[in-house]
Amino acid sequence: MTPNKIRLGILGCGAITRLEHLPAVLAHPEVELIALVDSDTDRAHALAQSRSVQCQVSADYRPLISQLDALINALPNSLHAPVTLDVLRAGVHVLCEKPLAIKASDALACGAMAEQQGLVLAVGMNRRFFASHKLMRLVLDEGALGPLKSYNCDWGGAFDWKSASGFYFSKALAGGGAMIDFGVHLLDSLIDWFGPVSAFSYQDDDWGSGIEANAIMELQHSGRYGLVEGRLQVSRTFPLKNRLLVRGGQAEAEVNIADLDSLIVRRTIGGEPVCQTLRLSDAKTSSFYKQLDNFVQSIRGTQKPEVNGAQAAAALQLIEDCYANARRIPEPWSEVPSEIRTLPTKVRA
Amino acid sequence: MNWLDGTVFVTGATGFIGGRVCERLVQAGARRVRALVHSTHRAARIGRLPIELCPGDLLEIDSLRQALADSTVVIHCGVGNARGIVRGTENLLSACREGTVKRFVHMSTAAVYGLTPPPGSETEDAPLRLTGDGYCDNKGRAEGAVLRAGQQGLQVVILRPSIVYGPYSSWSTRLIKDLREHRVALIDEGKGACNTVYVDNLVDAIFASIENDRAVGNIFFITDGEAITWGDFIRAHMAMLEYKEELPEVSKQEALAYYKDRPGVVAGSVKAAGRILRSRELRQLLLQIPVAERTLTAVWGRMQSLPETRQQKIRSRVGVLPKSFGPSKNGRFIPDEIALATQTASVFFSIEKAKRILDYRPRIPFTQGAALVEQWLRFANYL
Repeated sequence: MTPNKIRLGILGCGAITRLEHLPAVLAHPEVELIALVDSDTDRAHALAQSRSVQCQVSADYRPLISQLDALINALPNSLHAPVTLDVLRAGVHVLCEKPLAIKASDALACGAMAEQQGLVLAVGMNRRFFASHKLMRLVLDEGALGPLKSYNCDWGGAFDWKSASGFYFSKALAGGGAMIDFGVHLLDSLIDWFGPVSAFSYQDDDWGSGIEANAIMELQHSGRYGLVEGRLQVSRTFPLKNRLLVRGGQAEAEVNIADLDSLIVRRTIGGEPVCQTLRLSDAKTSSFYKQLDNFVQSIRGTQKPEVNGAQAAAALQLIEDCYANARRIPEPWSEVPSEIRTLPTKVRA
Repeated sequence: MNWLDGTVFVTGATGFIGGRVCERLVQAGARRVRALVHSTHRAARIGRLPIELCPGDLLEIDSLRQALADSTVVIHCGVGNARGIVRGTENLLSACREGTVKRFVHMSTAAVYGLTPPPGSETEDAPLRLTGDGYCDNKGRAEGAVLRAGQQGLQVVILRPSIVYGPYSSWSTRLIKDLREHRVALIDEGKGACNTVYVDNLVDAIFASIENDRAVGNIFFITDGEAITWGDFIRAHMAMLEYKEELPEVSKQEALAYYKDRPGVVAGSVKAAGRILRSRELRQLLLQIPVAERTLTAVWGRMQSLPETRQQKIRSRVGVLPKSFGPSKNGRFIPDEIALATQTASVFFSIEKAKRILDYRPRIPFTQGAALVEQWLRFANYL
């Protein structure tokens, strides 16, 4: 039986909870916030106060678990899988922030546990809830681009995420750098659109900490549109072009970071280049709200989670394989001076 | 014991120079590098390195004691805000004296002689004077603190680089952006002394300051030792961009005349003004607001009415707050006051002392340094 309102707790009161999860929860009519949980209870209290929220505050989720139907897990990466497993085992539905785990096998274990318990495990791939994700799927299914050729996906900017705990720069806590942090979003989308990755090559700029700032990946998908080749680049240090460009035989489609709720399609009509901006007609709500709503409706049994454990594991397995087979991005400008070669240049002093 | 087998502590590690210092320490095989990190979210570059990121703040001495741990060498590249330059350096020196630190390399700046160093400041023995610029004067005061700590037994070395450029340097990224936006003019035909130092040449000097005992207690100018002008520096970036247009030329006199009846300097009572106005974006934003423009005008008038010595004292405390800038009446671009002061320098600093005592030899000449910058700018999507 599903109660009228979903009694929910939020675990982890860092930046993503403050900026996205809590506002979405407070805005959702079918959710009742029971507790904010953070090992730093001062932080949890401050968050509750800042939004004038009346709820319990606790350093530990375990004593509260009997009062909850569902929980959002927004802890540092390394705690996603173990805590999700524990909470599912206790009979509570989980919406877990990405990445679901640091290792794909742990993500699969979470998925299996949810299935075994008959509970919902949704993974916080909020990008799926921007209109551009669905629009791309529609355009591809329609065959509007013609036979698919290739894609380029660039996403990057100076890292500026004001993490409360600073876990992002610990391999043990974060599992990796730019790839597992937001590359996971892109890979999840790309796999969803173009199918499983059948071949890849991967390079990054990790110098030994395991926290890469830049990564470049060449991919080959074999899915429902046949063989599609692509290139993915992510950066935490430099602004990149910040767009996804999919090239087909008849048209190309572009998603731009500036407007993730639209898709631009370019083609020629009668030899004239034309450009269409596609949008969905539904009202513009935050991707995190839509993600929460998908979680709620999945608990009610009217929808399925947009991303489940097995789907999350697919992207994570690929990232795990990338890290295991990484080559270093050549950085001739970083070589020690004695090894610096004279380079061809246009520069004349 | 080789210093690379001990613990090396780097401040300013999330910045351009400190970041490269950390990379070079890793390349040199340093056993243990600890980097002071004030803003974790800026740590993406050094986050790649197998070093320890230590949260802390130069203004909180307890955090420094903890972060220093068993360090024997300190490379102090941190700056922080205007207050932090002196106080932060003093805090760090105190923490060092209490701990295990032997050698302290202090990153000062040739700008201790001002943005336009006066003739006579070619060598390190030229006496410091108040310049009226908060950054310059506070860097000078910080040198004083370092020298005093040296007298009390810490092995200190002070380096005074000038225009440090290289991959990740905002001199290059900003210049590329400004060129694209047509916001660059050649001042006085670009003849001003640029005093470039490629970041790896500077790191060589830092390492030499640690390795060489004769360095202790000394101050060294560090440049590439080439007479690179601002025209050279700007044209090198134009070549990277394949920038074909002629740059507008502006004379110093013309710029000064343009500034004369423009407001833009805020005096001392507003402590944050220095920091705010150092940010060009905010400065431009402020000047678009009529009330701010009027306030600036009023304060500018008030400031102008004070005697020059008072003005200089105020400026020295809060920083020279650059005047507004933009296209002049005839549509020509007029650079801001900092650019004007920096690019009209005539002094080329001598690196003879560094050569003699540190055995410093700049290994990367300007053409090669610029080529490396170009490669990096391409990789980083700036070109």
